Amino acid sequence: MIEERDQISTGKKIAFTIGGLVIAGVYFLYFLDIALMKMQGLDYCYNFPDWFRKLCF
Amino acid sequence: MATITKQARKKVWAFLALGTFVGLLLLPLFLSLPAGAGDTPAPAASTASASAAPADAKPVEKSRDVWFKTEGPVIGAPAPKTTDSPKDYPRYNFESRVILWVALQQHLYYGSFVLAVPIFCMIVEYLGVITKDKALSRKYDQLAYDFVKISLTAYSLTALLGGIVIFTFLTLYPTFFGYLSSIFRPVMATYALLFIAESGTLYIYYYAWDMMREGFLKWIHVSMSVILNVIGTVLMMLANSWIAFMQSPAGVDADGRYLGNVWHVIHTTLWNPINVHRLLGNMAFGGGVVAAYAAYRFLTAKTDEERAHYDWMGYVAMFIGVCFLIPLPFAGYWLMREVYAYRQQMGITLMGGLLAWLFIIQAVMIGALFLTANYYLWQGMERMRGAERYQKYIKYMVFVLITCFIVWLTPHTIVMTPAELKAMGGQQHPVLGNYGVMSAKNGAINTIITTTVLSFIMYQRGNKIPVVKWAPLGNAFLFGLFTMAYINIIWLAIYGYYIPANVRVGLSVPQVASTLSCLFIGVILNSIMLKGAKDTGPIAWGQISVRSQYALIMLATSFTWMMGLMGYIRSSVRLFWHVNEIMRDNSPWAFTHTIGFGANMISFNVLFFWLTILFVFWLGSLGVKKAPVTAPAGQKVPAPVGSH
Repeated sequence: MIEERDQISTGKKIAFTIGGLVIAGVYFLYFLDIALMKMQGLDYCYNFPDWFRKLCF
Repeated sequence: MATITKQARKKVWAFLALGTFVGLLLLPLFLSLPAGAGDTPAPAASTASASAAPADAKPVEKSRDVWFKTEGPVIGAPAPKTTDSPKDYPRYNFESRVILWVALQQHLYYGSFVLAVPIFCMIVEYLGVITKDKALSRKYDQLAYDFVKISLTAYSLTALLGGIVIFTFLTLYPTFFGYLSSIFRPVMATYALLFIAESGTLYIYYYAWDMMREGFLKWIHVSMSVILNVIGTVLMMLANSWIAFMQSPAGVDADGRYLGNVWHVIHTTLWNPINVHRLLGNMAFGGGVVAAYAAYRFLTAKTDEERAHYDWMGYVAMFIGVCFLIPLPFAGYWLMREVYAYRQQMGITLMGGLLAWLFIIQAVMIGALFLTANYYLWQGMERMRGAERYQKYIKYMVFVLITCFIVWLTPHTIVMTPAELKAMGGQQHPVLGNYGVMSAKNGAINTIITTTVLSFIMYQRGNKIPVVKWAPLGNAFLFGLFTMAYINIIWLAIYGYYIPANVRVGLSVPQVASTLSCLFIGVILNSIMLKGAKDTGPIAWGQISVRSQYALIMLATSFTWMMGLMGYIRSSVRLFWHVNEIMRDNSPWAFTHTIGFGANMISFNVLFFWLTILFVFWLGSLGVKKAPVTAPAGQKVPAPVGSH
């Protein structure tokens, strides 16, 4: 067990963690929040500034 | 040769039996086909319903359906206008409503139990058939058999209580019941026939268990469990149509006259939400009751093998129960949404008015349920060597759960006297009025459910170390998934405070989707990651604390109490109507009881049910006492440890 853990460097672990957070973040924001609100005919970015609205599809 | 002939004969009989059940099930459908569909006066079932349509010579009066807005011939009499008299409301020197309440609630408890157990049997027996490990397969099969044995006496009690319900209706509410049965005559006739089919199937399913233990016959036996469940579900759906009609009537005109379309009176707007909610609720409740049975047997076990067996049984039952508890709030949300869509005032009465405090009590129960489920899983991790590495996260999860619990149960208004109301200048307290709003509560409950999913994933990994090459990537993704889910849920809860209500209500969908993403993606990914995983040690069944078994009993009691509470709420929301806006309740009991009285009644029903179900379990145990109990397959039974 310990040998397998040692095979992954700290840098890789950090990269994977950040990657996981980014992928999950994109999934939750675009595929859940924005898309599901749009499906209901509602505006997710109701109170948001214009620069953020440009990110919404 | 003789054996082959015997086998062939068994197959023929098995096919015949299966064919008969399927035929009986489809019979109502075949009988209704010649009568056609649509707005013609066509009973959906037995032709025993002989109420004749007016003679062709007389012009047929037409009227409009209150819900579907379609026109139909007036078939039935208008809803009776009752008076507070011995004719319409004959009575004992006691509130009739309370008598009916007890009879109905007991029937519902037992009915729910006997509908849930066959679903358990179906799942567990199927697991037994597909499991490759022979010893575990036998174990699952025996467990399914034990489940059905527990429920046999419960079936008789369900039927008895159903009879008591009918007699209570006939003797105490004859006018109302006469009206309801005049509309639902074919449905009630079908219900009775299906009950016979259900009982017949159940007895053959149980008594032929040993005969159909192997090979092809075993598959027929599993198919019978499916049929048993189909019949049971249809029974539940037929009964649900009566209460859905009472709450959101359709198929009648504004005077309550039946317009000939029995599908309209069945398929009212709340029918399907109640069907789904009750199906899931039955499973959660049934899981709780079986888990409590296992907990009781664990606590009274004399040997380590017994303790191991009942620990395992309790886990399986709890697992299935909690699996169905997870989607239950979504079904409840759908039901509430449909209530609001049907009649906004009814929705407001429920959650924003007279009955709002009952939903606060419900919130407390749900929070307690999830806390208990998490607690049980953490206790369960103590019987897995290797699970200690997750112990350090438990305190953070407890903190999150308790904080969310407090948010979840916060009321929006406080119980006040008129003088206090006047001093405050309104219903909303200047400080507390900001709390207890749905935006925060949705965030809280989704966080609670996500944390429960996290506990379960930790439990799954407890005694396993993933060995797949992509495990670090998988772990990173799981970490990202749960972290972003928590952030998203809490962010949406905060954001909801700053947007109007019509936009805010839409935020619940992405919140729920976040929770469900953690559930499905997380559990599936975790399961895939654990394929071929290294075991740090077997699960030491039986090596669990006594407190965990009390947690199972707590789960069962909470489920029972909540069922009683929600049923009381659903019934009370009709206020002074027998059938909403169609047939008024003119009895002397057309008022809403105080919350205290309602709670006492619910508690009485819960106690009464648990006393009688203990009797049922005791009856069931008379047969099993001599049977040897073995530990779950593949697991060593370690030396006993002192409970802590």
